[in-house]
Amino acid sequence: MSTPTKTPFRIALHGMDSRTCKTMEMYLKGPCRGAAVVVDTMEANIDMIDADHPKARDILDARKVATPDRPIILLSLQNLQLDNTYFIKKPVNVEQILAVLDKIKAVAKARKANAESAKISQTPPKPVDLPEQPKVALPEKVAIDVYVNKSKATKPVDSPEQHKAGKHQSAMQLNEGGFTAFLGTLSNVDFDDETQLLTACYDPRQYFLGYVMSAYKTANLQSRVLQLCSIWKPLTIFPENQEIWVDADDKQTRAFAGMPLVKGSVSNMVLTAVDAAIPIQRAEDKFQDMSAFIWKLAIWTSKGRFPIGLDIQRPVFLERWPNFTRLVITPDALRIAALLIQAPRTPLEVASLLHVKPQYVFVFISACQAIGILKQSERQVDTVIAVAQTKKPKNEGLLSKILNKLRGA
Amino acid sequence: MSQYKIIFTGPVGAGKTTAINAISDVPPVKTDAAASDMTKNRKASTTVAMDYGVMNLAGGEKIHLYGTPGQERFDFMWDILTMGGIGLVLLLDNTRADPFQDMKFFLDTFGKFINDTSVAIGVTQMDLSNKPSIEDYHQQLQGFGLKPPVFAVDAREKNDVSLLVQALLYSLDPGLAG
Repeated sequence: MSTPTKTPFRIALHGMDSRTCKTMEMYLKGPCRGAAVVVDTMEANIDMIDADHPKARDILDARKVATPDRPIILLSLQNLQLDNTYFIKKPVNVEQILAVLDKIKAVAKARKANAESAKISQTPPKPVDLPEQPKVALPEKVAIDVYVNKSKATKPVDSPEQHKAGKHQSAMQLNEGGFTAFLGTLSNVDFDDETQLLTACYDPRQYFLGYVMSAYKTANLQSRVLQLCSIWKPLTIFPENQEIWVDADDKQTRAFAGMPLVKGSVSNMVLTAVDAAIPIQRAEDKFQDMSAFIWKLAIWTSKGRFPIGLDIQRPVFLERWPNFTRLVITPDALRIAALLIQAPRTPLEVASLLHVKPQYVFVFISACQAIGILKQSERQVDTVIAVAQTKKPKNEGLLSKILNKLRGA
Repeated sequence: MSQYKIIFTGPVGAGKTTAINAISDVPPVKTDAAASDMTKNRKASTTVAMDYGVMNLAGGEKIHLYGTPGQERFDFMWDILTMGGIGLVLLLDNTRADPFQDMKFFLDTFGKFINDTSVAIGVTQMDLSNKPSIEDYHQQLQGFGLKPPVFAVDAREKNDVSLLVQALLYSLDPGLAG
């Protein structure tokens, strides 16, 4: 590795914007310990080119013509082997840069020595070539990878999607007070009574939620648009885009979701196919993301209870994080999610570990189960092996301060 | 006092600067920021190396928010940027031709840092292109053996960016009490 040099290389940068040039200048000065400095093209003894620049080939050709003896360093995401150039693969690190500079230094030294010995022997000087590098047959215009072009926005913009404001609204976060105000209270469950906790469940099939979940599954299986008609407003399910359309606001939906369905209303529940070819005028702002809609329904149905069929004495876990930015966020939902992503735990264990109310855990697991990302651990081993305590980060106090700041506390 | 930082990375146009702006307490320092009084006599603008913002915390501590420059040009500073970093926020632009390729690149490049800390992924521009879906991203992530938070994000929305950073912090420690 090079040591700081008294006469640093003078590098001219090409194919880089001013910010990149500034950073490279700092990088050479700091981490590379002054092995080179950035200078204007005229003063340089090395050219460095960003080979991922769209015009990298032209720059390279121009530099070879202008200063044929000057070493050229190419930076690229792809492996490049071009005659008479030195290559550094991105992301560039100090070792790579210093190794290449060492090579250039050695070649320059050899050149000088050759020139001097030629002078002494009085023989006509021979042009000294750069050390031979592996020669690779290149096309006329070598395909220097242009990552930026390859990945530029090339998809057509989905204009109707832009108008579906309901799908792209930021999350509504419920604090403790908001949770009660938003959901109302359950008069028949005392969540402070441990014995009642174990039976604080609800059956989704007795609520609109169960019918929507069932209709959603059917629409997905049949891959066609279906409409769920009930004593309430018709709900149309679009499985291809994972959307629903219903002419109702959240307040109306919440009221209907919380009502247990009686026998008479269940018999009016009908699922029919909709001919997608027939154009129907639908207000675009009434489209909602399917998962976000089911999530809300589950929260409004649960009201802090857990869904029947889920054994709350057995561990549950999350297959993935919910897309929180587009969902109604119940109290402590992010913490509960983070814990259940790490390892399976029983709902009551989660409440105890995080010091949160059990109904917040129940409502969260209800919503996660409804959208299909919560699973109950089947293995007995999960219930008998104590889950290791997560390692506490060193800067726990600082992280808490950041959280407070983000929440506006 | 220790210097703590959160790193925002992602391809050009994914919204790193906007996201930093959304939660920073000071206007973020950007490319070609206006020159300070000391330098403006010599140069109309001064060039800085990366996007930068600050969150002022209770007790006088600060969190520095650094945005890595676009990966296709500016990746040689990354190892330095991540030193002392609390975690990584990866923003991906859903309108790009192959956002999975972008995701792979950044997860590979920051693999060690992610392994030592944590990562949260924000997918931007989903209102312009709704495919791939968030579910598709999770499926791709299975190949990396990672289960990070992946949220649809509008980088202009403070709430979205805030939730993403909160998820990052809870990934580090679900027991954190705010």
